Amino acid sequence: MSERDPANILMVDDQPGKLMSYEVILKDLGENLIQARTATEALEHLLHHDVAVVLMDVSMPEMDGFELADMIRQHPRFQKTAIIFISAVHLTDLDRIKAYQSGAVDYISVPVVPELLRAKVSVFAELYRKNRQLERLNRELEDRVAERTEQLRQSEDQLRERADLLELATEAIFVRDLDGIVLYWNSGAEALYGWRRDEILGKPVHRVLKTVFPVEFDEMQDTLARIGKWNGSLIQFTRDGQEVTVACRKALKAGGRAILEINRDITAQLKAEDALRKTERLAAMGRVAGIIAHEINNPLEAIINTFYLLRDNSSLDEEARYLTQLGEQELLRVSHITRQTLGFYRESQSPVDVAIPALLDEILELQSRRIEFGNIILEKRYRSRGTIRGFPVELRQVFLNLLGNAVQAMPEGGKLRLHVFNSTRLGGRRPDVRIYISDTGVGIEPEHAKHLFEPFFTTKSAKGTGLGLWISKGIIQKYGGTIRFRSASFRGLKMTCFQVILPDIDVPTSVETSAASGSTALAGVSNAD
Amino acid sequence: MRIDQVTILCVDDEDTPRIIRALMLRKRGYQVITAASAAEAIQALDNNAIDLILTDQMMPTMSGTELAKAVKATRPQMPVILISGMNEIPLDADCADAFVSKIGGPELLFATINEVLITYRLTE
Repeated sequence: MSERDPANILMVDDQPGKLMSYEVILKDLGENLIQARTATEALEHLLHHDVAVVLMDVSMPEMDGFELADMIRQHPRFQKTAIIFISAVHLTDLDRIKAYQSGAVDYISVPVVPELLRAKVSVFAELYRKNRQLERLNRELEDRVAERTEQLRQSEDQLRERADLLELATEAIFVRDLDGIVLYWNSGAEALYGWRRDEILGKPVHRVLKTVFPVEFDEMQDTLARIGKWNGSLIQFTRDGQEVTVACRKALKAGGRAILEINRDITAQLKAEDALRKTERLAAMGRVAGIIAHEINNPLEAIINTFYLLRDNSSLDEEARYLTQLGEQELLRVSHITRQTLGFYRESQSPVDVAIPALLDEILELQSRRIEFGNIILEKRYRSRGTIRGFPVELRQVFLNLLGNAVQAMPEGGKLRLHVFNSTRLGGRRPDVRIYISDTGVGIEPEHAKHLFEPFFTTKSAKGTGLGLWISKGIIQKYGGTIRFRSASFRGLKMTCFQVILPDIDVPTSVETSAASGSTALAGVSNAD
Repeated sequence: MRIDQVTILCVDDEDTPRIIRALMLRKRGYQVITAASAAEAIQALDNNAIDLILTDQMMPTMSGTELAKAVKATRPQMPVILISGMNEIPLDADCADAFVSKIGGPELLFATINEVLITYRLTE
């Protein structure tokens, strides 16, 4: 009901004349006047309209006013309806009390003073209106409260879900204010740093973790302020003093008042990469040494032999003969030295049987973390025992390099396929062992293809030695094998496959010498080998 | 057989080492025929009575081990010795009868040749 909707005024009197006079008195109030001649009629009206005020004659033939008032009050709906009694009879206080007891709100005596009647009706009508308004506002308020409560509940649920997810994350996730005070600390952080939530909340995080920043702190804050994010790696210390290296992602949140940090422990990964680089350096030195050795030994032999031939030459006198002896001795020393320093490192002098599938599984173990958490699907198809007669250390070097490259090519995840199978070369009696390693990673650009097996060629910027493939090729050639790759792109999907073919040593080799070739087929369907 | 009745086929793609090695063997007392490649060596085998092949390992076109395997396929009783400047024994070196390093010195070479000949009962 709005400010000035007309209220329903029910006038009950058995005498039409009186009703008319009330009508006349009240009509300027602007309310809606309803007439009823009997109690029954009155009740009818009450049931069908929302009545604000009931004007009632106390003495009516059918039912007296008190009884009617009683009946009206029975209804819970009409508990608060204003009832004004109009009575001709002079009323004592006792009567009045009785009237109030039966639910009347007010009394007017006859003769009715028009202004009095008008005033009273007006007041009660207004009261009624105000009540209705209040009720409506209450209802609206209740609705809004219910809505808001529901919204809060939903966002609470969401927050709880998110908090649960943050708890599931293995990364260390924490939130801190601009002074570094910890506001939130997930269980990943507890696990990584060894500090429990209750121990570190409210403390300055970088002081506790003794963080070492790769760049000036101010520079970092500046980047954060400018673009809202910062990525890099940090060195920190756990509670028990262990040094860890983390890949850190920072983001400015809450309108610039808080910083969210997500840190991933990459200590193990860096160690593995370090170790790989070391073995690669060693293997590279080995390969270079082998080449140098060969270059030196050939002329060295010729000189040794020359001195030998000079030994008993009759044209030499005592002194000359003595000199050749000295020369021979020194040459012996040189040969000794080159043999010591320029020999390939081999763990033993005799080759053993190496099962390639088992070797690959060993290497996958080392890479298991990166594969698991790097969103990489692994598919192994070991179709043959894949046994090669050779040296495990150098064979491991080859596949460490190839598998490492495949995994690194898929920083966002992908599929890593390993196939080991036999195939027979034309004219051969025993089959080759073929090892195919493929990834769905970044692929190989055509302009890189021809340099791929060159020493010091790398597409990995700071990280690669650029020697891995060169070493691998060298090793595979020693086995009389072949290494090549295929890289293809099909409908936006890229696939790169490195193929290693190791011949069975007892097979009479064909006239062709082992050579590595790189080939690229782009923008076409790559034939599955 | 007496030493001067043994003919050695000396194979090496590099001229100076081959010539000097041949001189060495002759000084020792052997008869020597030379070949500058595996192909030449096979030809020489067909045209001469060879008692032992001493071949360099690293040769273009066909390596020492490949030559050894080719020879043994048709002449299983032909002794073949690999000599190499690499400080490493090739993986399939056991297709030949012996492997000797170029910088092992003349004495080692002669001892190896003698041993192999004894195995094949070509010398006393």
